[in-house]
Amino acid sequence: MDYKAVIIGGSAGSFQVITKIIASLPENYSLPVILCLHRLKHVRSGFVEALSIKSKMPILEPNDKDPIKAGKIYLAPANYHMYVELGNRFTLSTEDVVNHSRPSIDLSFSSASYNYKRKLVGIILSGANKDGALGLKAVNDSGGLTIVQDPSDCQVPTMTQAAISATEVDHVYNTRKIIEFLLNLDS
Amino acid sequence: MVTNEDVQRFITAIKMASTYDFSDYSERSFKRRVEKLLIDNHMDINQLSLKISKDKFFLEKVVRDITVNTTELFRDSDMWITLKHQILPKLKKNKSIFIWHAGCSSGQEIYSMLILLHELGMFEQAKVFATDINSEMLESSKAGVYKYRFNLGYLDNFDKVIKENPLNFEETKDVPYEKYFDIDKVKDTIKMKEFLREKVVFRKHDLVNDGNIFYSKFDLVLCRNVIIYFNNKLQNHVIELFNNSLYRDGYLVLGAHESILGPVSNNFDRTKGFYKKKQF
Ligand SMILES: C[S@@+](CC[C@H](N)C(=O)[O-])C[C@H]1O[C@@H](n2cnc3c(N)ncnc32)[C@H](O)[C@@H]1O
Repeated sequence: MDYKAVIIGGSAGSFQVITKIIASLPENYSLPVILCLHRLKHVRSGFVEALSIKSKMPILEPNDKDPIKAGKIYLAPANYHMYVELGNRFTLSTEDVVNHSRPSIDLSFSSASYNYKRKLVGIILSGANKDGALGLKAVNDSGGLTIVQDPSDCQVPTMTQAAISATEVDHVYNTRKIIEFLLNLDS
Repeated sequence: MVTNEDVQRFITAIKMASTYDFSDYSERSFKRRVEKLLIDNHMDINQLSLKISKDKFFLEKVVRDITVNTTELFRDSDMWITLKHQILPKLKKNKSIFIWHAGCSSGQEIYSMLILLHELGMFEQAKVFATDINSEMLESSKAGVYKYRFNLGYLDNFDKVIKENPLNFEETKDVPYEKYFDIDKVKDTIKMKEFLREKVVFRKHDLVNDGNIFYSKFDLVLCRNVIIYFNNKLQNHVIELFNNSLYRDGYLVLGAHESILGPVSNNFDRTKGFYKKKQF
């Protein structure tokens, strides 16, 4: 099991879960953690700061073509789509919203699965729309590992339910189990 | 599903029929644009390639659709506030100020600049040039007409940059919108005033193929949210072009999440999103 990256998608109701997850990860976590989270329209800044309070790992909103490195958390910048490009770099784009969202979880997940293939862990958390379902399917189709937050553990279960019906997921976990799993990946 | 081979065939078809070359665009986002193009045109890659080779108008439309044209008036207001407080005042003493908007899309960035220059009393000395790969975008830039209701955010941005954040504390400005554009709620339009529209020299220009087509160097080059669509190699090529087109102490302004990577970055001093060309 040598995974190269973890990618996490979340929307409404995911902020607390995400905060708990990143608070549990050690400073030198052995993988990059890529976050694609929907934000409220008017909350354009201050999000990194809010997440950073509890995090031991540095959290960055990447610039275009920034390399992806282990031990860092990357947050898709507000109002940009964030792709993972071959050669382990991010590419940003401001093209139209996808599933009413920019960043779109589907786009980040599909491009990450294309780059990392089997070596990717994709996680979908609480949310109120269907973004991420096709992305998680792409992760599954390329042989990556898929995890969905247990809908009964979610503040808003729509997104996780959509992901579960779009593809056969490997694990349905509550927040505690997701954290345990991520800590076990650390080498 | 569009395969990488499909994308290559599409790129080749365009190259054969025109001077456009999309080989060095960012792969993932470009592939997505091709997928969207096929869906919107109800065609497969063969039909698309064939039509591109036969129909020049269609080809231009494809180029418009394959590129991303999203833009706003005073997009990313923090950048404009820095420009207002820190960058433009330094240029004010110059007899003339040469400005190039590369990849101007439908023109909102140009009008933001013109409005700011006018407010700072620098309008007359400014020489403003604007380019884009796409002639339709240049036409919309020249027209300077935008949807009103859909773009209410423009007015918020205008307020933030022009009315709030004054240069000094005595200054409390209420700048009426009509000074720079007319709002027609019935027609649902915002139309830029003629004195702004006629200030600009527009040219079609492809950053992949063309060099500096103006007989001048520049104090300011704005190229925002354009090179995110290019791969590293093409980014470096374009930054090199800007480096050669700037006066010493001139500034290159990139988008909020763009940066210069690699050796060319040594030619610039960076503060916030502004790259100042170094003296050598
Ligand atoms: C997202 S818009 C940016 C508009 C504006 N600069 C802004 O930041 O709001 C990108 C523009 O780059 C133009 N573009 C794409 N490829 C180009 C090329 N090779 N040469 C010149 N312009 C190009 C597109 O036509 C489009 O209008």
